[in-house]
Amino acid sequence: MRLSTLLNSPIGKKLITGITGLGLTFFVLMHMVGNLSMFSGDDAYNEYAHFLASLGPLLYAVEAGLVLFFLAHAVNGFKIWIGKRKARPQAYAVYKSAGGPSMQSSSSRSMIITGIILLVFLVFHLISFKFGPGGPGNADASYLTTVNGVEMRDLARLVREKFALSWYTFGYTAIMLLLVAHLRHGVWSALQSLGAMRPSLSALIHTIGGLLGLGIGLGFIVMPLAIYFGLI
Amino acid sequence: MSTVLDPKIPAGPLKEKWDNYKNTIKLVNPANKRKHTVLVVGTGLAGGSAAASLAELGYNVKSFCIQDSPRRAHSIAAQGGINAAKNYPNDGDTIWRLFYDTIKGGDYRSREANVYRLAQVSNNIIDQCVAQGVPFAREYGGLLDNRSFGGAQVSRTFYAKGQTGQQLLLGAYQAMSRQIGAGNIEMFSRREMLDLVVVDGKARGIITRNLVTGEYERHVGDAVLLCTGGYGNVYYLSTNAKNSNVTAAWRCHKRGAYFANPCYTQIHPTCIPVSGDYQSKLTLMSESLRNDGRVWVPKKQGDTRRPQDIPEEDRDYYLERKYPSFGNLVPRDVASRNAKMATDEGRGVGETGLAVYLDFKDSINRLGRDTIEARYGNLFEMYERITGENPYEVPMRIFPAVHYTMGGLWVDYELQSTVPGLFVLGEANFSDHGANRLGASALMQGLADGYFVIPYTLGNYIANQSLPDVSTDADAFGEAESAADARIQKLLSVNGNKTVMEFHRELGRIIWDQVGMSRTAGGLRQAIDQVSALKEEFWQNVCVPGEPTTYNKNLEFAGRVADFLELGELMARDALSREESCGGHFREEYQTPEGEALRNDDEFTHVSAWEHTASGHVLHKENLDFENVQLTTRSYK
Amino acid sequence: MAHSMNITLKVWRQAGPDAQGGFETYSVPDANEHMSFLELLDVLNEQLIKEGKEPVEFDHDCREGICGSCGVVIDGVAHGPQQRTACCQLHMRHYKDGDTIVIEPWRAEGFPIIKDLVVDRQAFDRIIAAGGYVSVNTGAAQDANSIPIPKDDADLAMDYATCIGCGACVAACPNASASLFTAAKIAQLSLLPQGAPERTMRVTNMVDQMAKEGFGDCSNHAECEAVCPKGISISAIATMRREYMKAMRG
Ligand SMILES: Cc1cc2nc3c(=O)[nH]c(=O)nc-3n(C[C@H](O)[C@H](O)[C@H](O)COP(=O)(O)OP(=O)(O)OC[C@H]3O[C@@H](n4cnc5c(N)ncnc54)[C@H](O)[C@@H]3O)c2cc1C
Ligand code: HEM
Ligand code: SF4
Ligand code: FES
Repeated sequence: MRLSTLLNSPIGKKLITGITGLGLTFFVLMHMVGNLSMFSGDDAYNEYAHFLASLGPLLYAVEAGLVLFFLAHAVNGFKIWIGKRKARPQAYAVYKSAGGPSMQSSSSRSMIITGIILLVFLVFHLISFKFGPGGPGNADASYLTTVNGVEMRDLARLVREKFALSWYTFGYTAIMLLLVAHLRHGVWSALQSLGAMRPSLSALIHTIGGLLGLGIGLGFIVMPLAIYFGLI
Repeated sequence: MSTVLDPKIPAGPLKEKWDNYKNTIKLVNPANKRKHTVLVVGTGLAGGSAAASLAELGYNVKSFCIQDSPRRAHSIAAQGGINAAKNYPNDGDTIWRLFYDTIKGGDYRSREANVYRLAQVSNNIIDQCVAQGVPFAREYGGLLDNRSFGGAQVSRTFYAKGQTGQQLLLGAYQAMSRQIGAGNIEMFSRREMLDLVVVDGKARGIITRNLVTGEYERHVGDAVLLCTGGYGNVYYLSTNAKNSNVTAAWRCHKRGAYFANPCYTQIHPTCIPVSGDYQSKLTLMSESLRNDGRVWVPKKQGDTRRPQDIPEEDRDYYLERKYPSFGNLVPRDVASRNAKMATDEGRGVGETGLAVYLDFKDSINRLGRDTIEARYGNLFEMYERITGENPYEVPMRIFPAVHYTMGGLWVDYELQSTVPGLFVLGEANFSDHGANRLGASALMQGLADGYFVIPYTLGNYIANQSLPDVSTDADAFGEAESAADARIQKLLSVNGNKTVMEFHRELGRIIWDQVGMSRTAGGLRQAIDQVSALKEEFWQNVCVPGEPTTYNKNLEFAGRVADFLELGELMARDALSREESCGGHFREEYQTPEGEALRNDDEFTHVSAWEHTASGHVLHKENLDFENVQLTTRSYK
Repeated sequence: MAHSMNITLKVWRQAGPDAQGGFETYSVPDANEHMSFLELLDVLNEQLIKEGKEPVEFDHDCREGICGSCGVVIDGVAHGPQQRTACCQLHMRHYKDGDTIVIEPWRAEGFPIIKDLVVDRQAFDRIIAAGGYVSVNTGAAQDANSIPIPKDDADLAMDYATCIGCGACVAACPNASASLFTAAKIAQLSLLPQGAPERTMRVTNMVDQMAKEGFGDCSNHAECEAVCPKGISISAIATMRREYMKAMRG
């Protein structure tokens, strides 16, 4: 089997989406927590970024893993979406949810849309920050700073510049809300995909998933807004 | 010419007959089984279990059903349970006792040897079903649970919630599915058998109609197993599924298979009453309800007070009054007949006056609502869903409804009809239930026939025959197909102005009134005239729009109603000729002074088997010899 | 007394599998609250036949919620507004005079339309034939009480076993996935010792067949559980996934 069968089976596809989804959730959670270091000052933020960059090969490994996760997640998301379009060639004239035990929501129905936007955003986000001024392949002396005697990239400056722009700040906020939507269904769904869900816990986990998503989203949003409104 | 039929009962003492039979039959060489095609019509408990078992043995099986899937056969609807003489509760049950209860319950109108065999194999059925993964109810120790059912004095009924038929049928369906997957059964769903093909005096094929495309198909086989269920829908309103019909059996009847005891029908006492003309079917509620519910009607005629406003002294708990020792637990036929008497006296309740109360107030007071809910919660829910009334607060309204037909095609001990090579299983045969079937024994019989009887008797038939190859081009096939097509074309061409449903409803009303819970010679004669007039009108005035070449359910129903019209007449004739009361057949002329059924054992200890001839029906008899039990009068006083 | 109601029905009509379908509007002036939903369709059909028109085709048999024959989408919900109720057990008292009801067939690639509201659900039979059974020949069984089964397991197995194969789960699923149907059988047999020896083959073969039949994958919307007339829990699907993972390892 085995691998190719697994990868293309309805269950395998969901296992992959679930595992990668949870991996990415963990990643965004960490990323969000990291971002909050901005509240401790620019230096703290820069040091944190520098620390990550200094991990060298380890960082590359993690990054490679992340890319793989994103790709696997997105590819499976697309596969599932294409499959579902084929599975119902003709749509209902009238359709609604029966409510009750149904977990169907605007979130669950728009995973592919929120997902694609997140993917596009990711590319854009990497270009703006990771590969932005001072980043790899884009050396720029004005984005250097020295903290505690160590010279490092002044990522905080870049962050402050970006989030001074209203379109950027509010665009970012909107996309983070889409991330909340994605995770509202995603966290619960991933556990169900991995066979780790029990009926008695379902509603609870769904709520926790939603709150976690909301927490991550808000965590991402407060920093840019604080900068924009000059609070930090 | 009237003859006496030979049931071919094996020699020896009752307890050894089946073993003797198995020891002496001829077997089919395993290598040859594959060369024999068996056509199994119907996928209920009888057909499903037979098809699976025969395919496992190596026969080449073709299986047919009307529904889109074999899993939907009417057996799926059975609720209460299935009997077996396992004696797990150690309450004194034995194979003999199960045999005796079934014979007595049938009012001594069934064949001893068959019933004994049924009781013998009952235990194997439970073993088989558990091995298939049927989730029967269990006790905390993990062992199987039993309950007492239908007034039996022992707990011998196995059940799976209120869905025993469903679980047993799914067991058989899954066994069949395994053989379908393995290529040993070829499944033809959405097919209706329209005729039997007889070549050189033997059943060698069937004509089916593909219900999606309207095409006729010819199938050749070495034997035909008819497992097409009962004919309760002749009454229009019954607890049977809408597709249940007599068509396949009736066409076989017209090809030479005798029809036995058509007047034996079972009316179940606890069904939800009719609410209006549009009513399309009746819903049964398990008779276990009578364990805790009390049946009553107002003492006065036309008392229109709400039930809760009628004081105790104005209520008549008529079953408790008339049958002090059995009370509300009298057998089905007795309970049903008494409900009819109460409503005939004008003491019926509800909007239509065709209902009696089944009251749980006293047991709720005595046992608490929780206990009642644990016992009957899902039934109460179902009642409320259908009627919109809450039975915890107001008494249920119930009324009897047609539920099961004991009559059917006549078969001998080997389940073979009077057409060699045509075997009849399950409710479609005249069965082992005599004039009245006990609760939880139809499931047992269907599975006994399919799993444990037919694999032997069919083998014995095939091993003893020379069955030359027959081609679907044979004249007999052509003739049968043209006849089937001619009928369909005729139905479509009448173009009258009454619908099939209107005819069916009218037929149902006649049969219910005259060949229902109680019958009289005058009423039966009248019914014969009315039905034959209705049949005449049908062929001149029925309206069946649409094409024969696409899915056309109304056309299917038209063909079935046409056959019910012929059967209805025969039922009345049979009831008229049986000048006694027994089991479900109650002739008002033959009753005790207390109004109980009065058998006439001297003249009627026989099976009436009707032959269809060009000049009408001819009655043949099979004498029932009771060597092991003594005929007594059933008494529930 | 029963109230008479005037109901307008917008019904999907389609002459055959390949024909172009569309909605037709009919009015049924003498509906009443005690009727079942299918009886309302009967009344409509009687009306149509009297007018010499072709009746609306719909599947039905037991009319008591157990055979799984019936099934249409009523105002956007499979089997209609009352939960845990097949549409044959839905009664008109849930509607009022003057209501308009839209009726569509199950829509799924795996369930091609035969005519009007009738679809072909044989894909379900093929999924069961791929492994939804215990391989035991007739006569080969040991005594029924020789293997005790804990009551809780037996009861849970029974809950899963109540599936009536109606297809509402597929119809309601935004992905037209057959996961609940398939999983209910796998989950039932996974709880019983009788089913154990074949569990690996069962889950892989049934899941493969499900995919081959053109049903979508499960995105955990759980809409299936909400429309299932037997209220079968999506925990069956979680069980199926665990069984599958076990099969992959073993
Ligand atoms: C509501 C209800 C509850 C019941 N409860 C119990 C109970 O608790 N215990 C008990 O023992 N019994 C019970 N019974 C009785 C029992 O369910 C039936 O007697 C039994 O299931 C009949 O099984 P069968 O296999 O003979 O036929 P069925 O299950 O009726 O199967 C008939 C098959 O034949 C096919 N068929 C019919 N005509 C044709 C044709 N012309 N061409 C092709 N195929 C055809 C059908 O498609 C179907 O597959 C109950 C019955 C009802 C109505
Ligand atoms: C920030 C990044 C992302 C995170 C944290 C994330 C998280 C998740 C999680 C946890 C799930 C549930 C998995 C399951 O149901 O088994 C999920 C599902 C899904 N994700 Fe993402 N995701 C992200 C990015 C993306 C991207 C880039 C796409 C691109 C197309 C995408 C598309 C989908 C789709 C379509 C589903 C639903 C799968 C289904 O229908 O079963 N996601 N996501
Ligand atoms: S799981 Fe529920 S909705 Fe799906 S087929 Fe079975 S009974 Fe119908
Ligand atoms: S008609 Fe049988 S479930 Fe509805």
